[in-house]
Amino acid sequence: MLDGVGTLLRLGLAAVWAVSGWLKVSDPNQTFVAVQAYDLLPAGLVSPVAAAVPFVELALAALLLLGLGTRAAAVLSGVVLLAFIGAVAQSWARGLSIDCGCFGGGGQVAAGDTRYPQEIARDVGFLLVAGWLAVRPRTGLSVDGRFARATVDAR
Amino acid sequence: MGGAERNARKRKRNQGGGARPGGATSGARAGDGKAGDGKAGGRPVPKPGSAQAALAAARAGKNDRTKVILGVVAVVVVAAAVIGGVIWTNNRKNATADAAIPVAAARQELPTTREDAAVLVGKDSAKVTLDVYEDFLCPACGGFEARFGPAIEQKLDEGVLKVRFHLVNLLDSRSDPEGYSTDSANAALLAADEGKFLRFHKSLYDSQPEEGARGWSKDQLIELGRAVGLTGQAFADGVRAGKYDQQVTAAYEKARGTEYLLQDAGNGQKAFGTPTLAVGDKVVDTSQADWLERLVAG
Repeated sequence: MLDGVGTLLRLGLAAVWAVSGWLKVSDPNQTFVAVQAYDLLPAGLVSPVAAAVPFVELALAALLLLGLGTRAAAVLSGVVLLAFIGAVAQSWARGLSIDCGCFGGGGQVAAGDTRYPQEIARDVGFLLVAGWLAVRPRTGLSVDGRFARATVDAR
Repeated sequence: MGGAERNARKRKRNQGGGARPGGATSGARAGDGKAGDGKAGGRPVPKPGSAQAALAAARAGKNDRTKVILGVVAVVVVAAAVIGGVIWTNNRKNATADAAIPVAAARQELPTTREDAAVLVGKDSAKVTLDVYEDFLCPACGGFEARFGPAIEQKLDEGVLKVRFHLVNLLDSRSDPEGYSTDSANAALLAADEGKFLRFHKSLYDSQPEEGARGWSKDQLIELGRAVGLTGQAFADGVRAGKYDQQVTAAYEKARGTEYLLQDAGNGQKAFGTPTLAVGDKVVDTSQADWLERLVAG
């Protein structure tokens, strides 16, 4: 039963990363603008971070989809989500007017068009999913499970 | 986080064990047995010393090792994705590095004067002077030039309009690497010094880089200059040295501090944006299709 819940959460989180990663990869210029808009990183770091983030997301998507290293993938997901939440929160606190660019898009928006509370709430939801999988990484239909079984069978 | 710590602890133990030759199959090790017990909540704990205990310990050790390996594989996958992704994205963005900026068709022989970081173009007969604030990276400026550029050029040619182009670097940080707004504005001002502004200006808008993209490099700007007839060393040196960079920045600071140029930015706040058009101290509204006709008609 709990394995089933875990499986659904794992595949759900995989889908979230896959969609957000894909939308970012397919528009690297927009991703650069989105990262730049947070006004957090020194000039030289915006470019590599904007290039790396989509691929981190896609890699996490692949790992979670396969159920390969689920605990490690969940912990990394949590770290990335915490970083995102922190970045959005600081934009809110500093009164920037930006879109988080979480699922593509991003950059400056009109002052009345920010959605910081919704963006943070959504990321906290994803963080809870990652937390579950970090604490209880055992799920069905996973490479992890197959390896664990193979180890047991080999005895 | 508890899971991660536990994993790290286990990894350390396993590394200790793995260093021994044949450690993977050598059976019961007290240390590994304990590590397994710590984790498996409901697993029955066999009596220490029994054959069953040895078997269980071996199994737990193997299981732990498998988990560590899977975790390491996961981290390696992510690291490889980052490295591969950064390289791939850089290559993709640098695809324009060797391209030449195509030269656009535009009039060259209209009177042109540079005034600090602005360029005044037009014949003396013109009664109306339109101030245009723009940034070579700004997509809306590109849209404006594409839509109204030819009509404006015609009015300039007819001698009924002068345009003062204020080249600002509002979006300086939005190119990758940053600085295209300044570099392009500086180059266009240098082009104006030698009377080649209009074609240089139009060429840059016709081949405008996207925000977040790699802008045209200084070398590419110099090449474009050569193609429109700026063959002297002064132009190339000026582009490389950023001769008018400070004037461009100062012009932007001045514009965004000029009350009548600010426009509604939502939530009752006002901000300077590009393109902004003004005649005297009145902003020109370009939402009506015939704004230009009405402007020159007075």
